[in-house]
Formats: sequence, structure tokens, C-alpha cells
Amino acid sequence: MKRRDVLVSALAMTISPSLAATEAEGERVVSLDYGLASTMLALGVTPTGVVSLKNWDEWVAEPRMPPGVIDLGTTAEINLEVLVSIRPSLILSTPFLAALDGKLSAIAPVATFTIYAEGGEALDRSYIETLRLAEILNRSNQARRFLADADAFFDRLKERIRRFSPPPVAVINFVDQRHARIYGGPGLYGGTMKRIGLENAWNGQANYWGFETIGLERLAELDEGTHLIAVAPLMPSDVFSRLQESPLWTSLPFVRRDRVSTIPGVLMFGMVQEAMRFAALVADKIEAAHR
Amino acid sequence: MTNAFGRFGAPTLSALLLGLALSLGLLEILPELSHLTDTSTGYDAKRLMLVYSTLPRMATALVAGAALALAGTILQQVLRNPLASPTTLGVSAGANLALVSAMLLFPSLSGLTRDGVALLGSSFAALAIFWISAKHGFSPFALVLSGLVVGLWCGAAAAILVLMNDQYLSGIFIWGAGSLSQQSWAVPFSLAPKVCLLAVLALLATRPLLLAQLGDAGARSLGLPMKWARLFALSVAIALSALVTSAVGVIGFVGLVAPQIARLVGARHMISQLTWSPVIGASLLLLTDQMIKLLSPGDFIPTGAVTALLGGPVLIALLPRLDIAPRALPAPSQSSTGFDPAPTVAVALIVLVLLITAAGVFLGRSPDGSWVWLPIEAWDQILPLRTPRVIAALGCGLVLGATGLILQRLTGNEMASPEILGVSAGATTGVASALLLFSAPGLATQLGFAAAGALMVLVLIFLISARSGFGPNRVLLAGIAIGAMLDAGIGVLAASGDPRGLALIRWMAGSTYFVDNAIAGTALLISAVGLAAALLLCRWLALLNLGPETAGELGLDVRVARAVLFGLAALMTAASTLVVGPLSFIGLMAPHLAQGLGFRQPASQLWASASVGACLLIIADWAGRMIAFPYQIPAGLLSALVGTPVLLMLLRRRV
Repeated sequence: MKRRDVLVSALAMTISPSLAATEAEGERVVSLDYGLASTMLALGVTPTGVVSLKNWDEWVAEPRMPPGVIDLGTTAEINLEVLVSIRPSLILSTPFLAALDGKLSAIAPVATFTIYAEGGEALDRSYIETLRLAEILNRSNQARRFLADADAFFDRLKERIRRFSPPPVAVINFVDQRHARIYGGPGLYGGTMKRIGLENAWNGQANYWGFETIGLERLAELDEGTHLIAVAPLMPSDVFSRLQESPLWTSLPFVRRDRVSTIPGVLMFGMVQEAMRFAALVADKIEAAHR
Repeated sequence: MTNAFGRFGAPTLSALLLGLALSLGLLEILPELSHLTDTSTGYDAKRLMLVYSTLPRMATALVAGAALALAGTILQQVLRNPLASPTTLGVSAGANLALVSAMLLFPSLSGLTRDGVALLGSSFAALAIFWISAKHGFSPFALVLSGLVVGLWCGAAAAILVLMNDQYLSGIFIWGAGSLSQQSWAVPFSLAPKVCLLAVLALLATRPLLLAQLGDAGARSLGLPMKWARLFALSVAIALSALVTSAVGVIGFVGLVAPQIARLVGARHMISQLTWSPVIGASLLLLTDQMIKLLSPGDFIPTGAVTALLGGPVLIALLPRLDIAPRALPAPSQSSTGFDPAPTVAVALIVLVLLITAAGVFLGRSPDGSWVWLPIEAWDQILPLRTPRVIAALGCGLVLGATGLILQRLTGNEMASPEILGVSAGATTGVASALLLFSAPGLATQLGFAAAGALMVLVLIFLISARSGFGPNRVLLAGIAIGAMLDAGIGVLAASGDPRGLALIRWMAGSTYFVDNAIAGTALLISAVGLAAALLLCRWLALLNLGPETAGELGLDVRVARAVLFGLAALMTAASTLVVGPLSFIGLMAPHLAQGLGFRQPASQLWASASVGACLLIIADWAGRMIAFPYQIPAGLLSALVGTPVLLMLLRRRV
């Protein structure tokens, strides 16, 4: 916690005064990133527009996006004409959309938030960027409360989990019958597991988005006590029944002991809200299986 | 064609290759072998990996490699075409596209009907290229060119599906890139019997095929139903490629390279070809897979994409062996002696360009989705966003239309187009490198890298084609071969599931989205300069159309003229690719529409073709912004959807 506090205060000083001074009331803030949008909701600000709104329910699910928010089209091609006509007062963006900065800043001031990039942990950065976002939106008090709640929430989960000795956990996304993405490294899932005291069974490499594509056979490298969590989006509907045909899969210790759980969609490239949702879903599954 | 390898003989080389591949495999499993016998310890991850992953993976490599090599051998023999293979004929890509579509539409069905779907796809691809090349007596050139085009298009169509469903990105690319990763014996065990059955059928077809080596005339005099024998053998080859694609995805070029090696080391006859090239193919694929595991342990690199990367240069090296008849005389319809339509048609065309440009700028949809003619009060808001896109589409359309005409006249080939030069694929590779080197490259960086990539391919094409005296058809084939190879490289990147892969597919989709005033202005400037230069060089085009000899007699340095015109075309292609991506096919369609309007003289045809190109691209851009509003479809993809059927029709009419 201490390290994060230092970072936060250091960052607060670097926020440009013009942005920090803007009023949140009556503002029309659009978010070009799911994680930033859900953080806005956590701070009590409803975005005027969001990208890929129609896929929100599958990938983010919680929190629900209130009605009346305008769909800005795909992340690949955010519809600038729609964006300009809803007259935003502030655009929230990420380094991933850097190529668009020139066009965006002609429409409204752009604030860029870095969660997923080289050299940093997604969860730590989410805390920092939540505070920075709050500063810009004049919601610093809400943000401090929100983050304190999140910390308390994580601590409670950590305590709960510590009572039974939790197994190492591996989190995957089935891509097809033979391949998966496995989560770890500096990503949100990996960081959250660390935060609530769960050991990540995957110690292999992962990109800064926090995943690595693997052939399923590499699951055999995982610790024998591992509990496997599969995240639902992308999962081919027949994957588990088809995997029954694979002797490797059926011999995996966690498959034999029935330590495989599925959780619904949680944005893996999200921020603190998503970390909380993920932590709760995983903790429930682990607790149910190992208490 | 005797050479140094000849005396080693095919059996020796096959044994050497297989020995090398197997010993590499043995090297991998040797430390784990003790786990095989020791079953006492209960759960043993190493044993599990060895028995259910490493060994079946090796078996899969051997079976798939042998099957592809066998398919390649049959195709090369039956079609008497040294470049025929499941990859170069687009058969694997067809199977892949069918699988991708099926997986998107019916995710749960794919497991049961996978082989059937793959077979359907590869049969469609094969039917398309046979239908196209039937008119040309299945000439080697017609087959390979149409095959590569079908292959590229299937790749593009798969990219469209990915872009529309971007969450499926990684899965589809892993499939398309051919991963050999296994967790059971299911794949090798189900693939091997099917391949064996087809191998027996292939042997049954050997007798008539042997006679086919004597030439059609000889076989027909023996009263054999040659057509049916060929069809039967081809079906076997197509089924083999489809089954492999269905089991492990697209494994590029093994089917091309293995029979070539077999022939190179002395396996000339049908029987020895059919015997040794599967052994070589199996060894090659296993060798590649073992090398990948050895060189980058732990990384996820799909084997099929790597074989495609390695195979591309082999294809280019083989080009000189392809018998391409020099094209001395221009096609009659390309003749420059016809009359132009009345000036009113030309004026009407220019008015049409202006009208469509205006409509592209002013006709649109408001945020609630309703159609509006842009009201004046919204001008200062919307026009700065919309105008650069329309202007860029105008400029690039002009450039592509003109470039297409230059290339078609230059090559005397109605299906030449900038996309097929491979320069656009070079630009794409440049962008890929920028995305790899920097975590979030800006637009200027991306553009710079794209230009560098385009230029590199341009130089490469120049070097390759200079050897053949800029023989027009060879340039096209070299270009499209480079394109296929670069596609494979992009496949490796995209299969890793990195979100940057999405940025790359976006680039390939060819959107005017990132165009700003500077780019739009540049596009317009380039189109003006390029068109002016092209109009000045029109006399050369007219002279070249009389045939190289006549042109030479009339005082034209044919090589210089061709080099200059190719250079101009390539530069214009590079510039337009930076804006609308590698796959618009505008340069292909525009000259034909211009000709359909009756323009025959080089200069007026050039101007007309450029105008038509501009109209097409503006319409594609506009439609892409409107169809799924507020979601946008890139102009390049939309025009490719229309352009490819046009291309296939043209391929059939004349290659």
C-alpha cells in the first residue's frame, strides 16, 4: 500500500492543471475503453458514449451500462462523426489508440490512461489511473472511498481464502479444442490473484496484456494441486465433452479431482471494478471446492 | 536436368532427411524416455506430455507432411505443372475459409462436420481455379496464378470475418496458421487411416497417370478415359489437402517443396515420385516442427506459418522453371487502334466523379441513424472529418485506376493489378514491424515503415524480374508469391493472440479512417503527379502494345521503358496502399469498366480508368461508413468483396 500511495501523490502533481480544474457536473465524458468506462460508473459518472456498446454485456457484464449511453462503434474504427456530434467535453483514451490522438484532440481534450503497457502491473496502474481519472472528473473523494472499499474487499477475500489452504489457481480462456490463453504476468487477472493471496499456477511468461497462448498440453506442467478456472467468453460450447476424448486432459490431476470451474465473462483488460468482480468469482469457486 | 544431387538418389536423401528429423525428435524425448516404463509413481506430468503430446505431435507432423507431399506430387504430375501444390492452387486456403466460416456461424457444429466442411471448401477453391483455367488448357501459368489469387482472397475473406468478430481473433488465426500442438492421439489416429486409404486410391490412379506422362495424345491413342483418370487423381489430391487442413489447419508449401526435392534428387518417374516425395514431405514437416521447438522453446509459434515463410522463397526460386510463353502480341481488345466514344461520354464521366465526390461528402447518417443531407449548420463539425476521407478515396481511386491500366497494358494481361504486384503486401509487413518494434507507434511511424516495406518489395521484384528481362507474367507471379509469403509472416504475429494483431488486420482491411488533411492532400498530389507522368508515358505504352520487336524497331528501348513504367506503377501502388490497404482490387476493375464505356486510346483510357477508379473507391468508402452505422466497414474490404468475383471472371476470359 505504501508504495502505491507514494506513486499516487507523485502522479497527482503531474496532472495538467487545465484538466484537473474542469468541472465534472454537466460534463459530457466519453470513454474509448471498457475499463475506463466501468471506472467512471464506479465514481458515479455515467459516460455519454462508449465504444462497442453492443458487446459490453458479454465481455464486461458487470456493472451494467445505464440506458441512454451512445454507441461509438468498434474500437478499430471509432465513429468520429457520432463522437463529434454528441459534443463531448472530455475523451478518455488509452495508448492503444495513440494513432487517433490528433483527430480526437481536435474534437475535445483527450486524457490518456496507461494500464496495459511494458514495465508495470495492471492492477497497480489501475489504482493510480483511477485516482488520476477521479482528479480530472473532480471525484477524488469518491475515488478514495472506492479504492478503500476495493482494498477492504480484497483484504476480506484474502482473509476468507487464507482460512482454508487455497490451491494454486490457473485461469484460462479456451480458444479452441487444442489451444487456450493462460493468464498471468503483469496482467489484471494475475495481479488480482496475487492481491487476494492466491498462488498463480502459471509461472510461465505472459505479455503485458497478461496472457500467453498455449497448446493445452502445457497444462500438464502445472502443479498437481492446481484448480483450473475457465473464463466463459470465446469458449466453444462442446469443448469439455470433446476434451473427454483426450487422455492427456482426463489424466490431468485437476480434471480427475474435478477441480475445474467456469466463471462468466470478466473483462481481462479492465481496471479495479473488473479485478473485484474477478476476485469474487474466483474466490467463490475456490471456496466451494476446497472448504 | 541432371545435377550434382542426381547421384545420391532419392532413397538416400529421403533416408538422410528422415534420419535427421527423427534424431532431432529423439533428442527431445531421450531425457524423458525413462518415464515411459516407470508407471509406479501415479501422476507423472512428463510421461503424460511424452505419451499424449510430444509423440502424437511428431506422428501428426509425419502424417500431415506425407499427405501434403502426396497431394502435391499428384497435382504436379496430373497438371504437368512444377508449381502445383495445395498451397499454390489455393486448395488449403479454401478449406480454411470454409472452416473459419463454419466455426463462426455454428461454433458447436464444427467438431462433427469439420472434414466435410473442409472438403467442401477445398473443392470449391479447386472448382474455381479449374473452371478459370479450363479455357486455357489448364496452362501452368493460368493454374498457379488463379490458385494464388484464390488463396489470397480466401485469406482476405477470413480476415473480414475476423474483423467483424474481433473477439475470435486468436482462435481463427491459430487455425489458419496451422498449429501441430496435440493432446491426444485422436488427430494422428483419425488422419492416418484416411490418408492411407487415399494413398491406395492414388496408386490405383497411377497406371493411367503413368501413361499421362507420355502426353495426352499417347494416352488417348490407348483408348483411356484420360479425363476421368485425371479427375479421379485430382479429387484424391484435393481430399488429402482438405483432410490435413481440417485436422491441423493450413500447412503452407510442404506440398510444393517435397515433390520438387524428390525430382531434384532424381525421382523422375511417377512411381518413385509417389514413393519418395511423401517420405521427404513427412521428414520436412517433422524437421521444421522440431527446429521450432528447439529454437524457441515455450513460445507459441504455429508450424504451418513457418513452413509458409520458408516455402515462399522456394516458390520464387522455382519461377524460372515454369514454362511461360512470352506474350508477343497484345490481346485484341487491348489494341490501341479503336475509336473513342463521343466527347460527351468523357464529360459525363468527369461530371459523375464530381457528383459522387459531393454525395460522398454530404450524404450521410445522423447519430440516431436517420439519413440526412448534411445541413449547413453541421458543416464545420462534420466536414473536417468526412472531407479528408472522401478526398483520399478520390486520390487513391485515381491512382489505382491509372496504375491498373498501366500494368494491364504493360503486361498485356487483363488481370494484372497493383494488388497482385505484392508491393502492397510489403507495405503491410512494414506496418507489422512497426507494431512489433514500438508498443504504440504513431501514424507517421506506421506510414514510414509501410513505405519502407513497399520499397523493399519493389526492389526485390526488380531484381527478380530483371533476370527475366521484365517478362511481364513472371513479374506478376513473383509479386503474388511475395505477397503470399508476407501473409504467412503476418500469420505468425497474429496467431500469438496479441491485440496488436488486430491493428494489423485493420490495416490490411484498408480503411480511410486514419486519413487527415495532410494525407488527403498528399494522396491528391500524388494522383495529380502520377497521372501527369502516366499521360506523358502513354506513347511508350502504345508502342509496347505493338510487341517488343516492333517497339524496338520503332526506336524504343524496351527494357528501359518497361522498367520506368513498372517503377511508376509500383510507386503509385505504394502510395495508395498506405491509405486503402493491400486488397482493394480497384486497379483491376477500373480499366475494364473504362473499356466497357468504349475508351480505347491509351491516353483517354488512362483518364477514364482513373475516373472510374475514383468513383468505385468513393462509393466503397461511403457504403462502408453507412451499411452498419455507427459501426464502420473498411473501404478496401468492401471493394475486395466485389473485386474478386470480377477478377475470377476475367481470369477465365483471359490470363
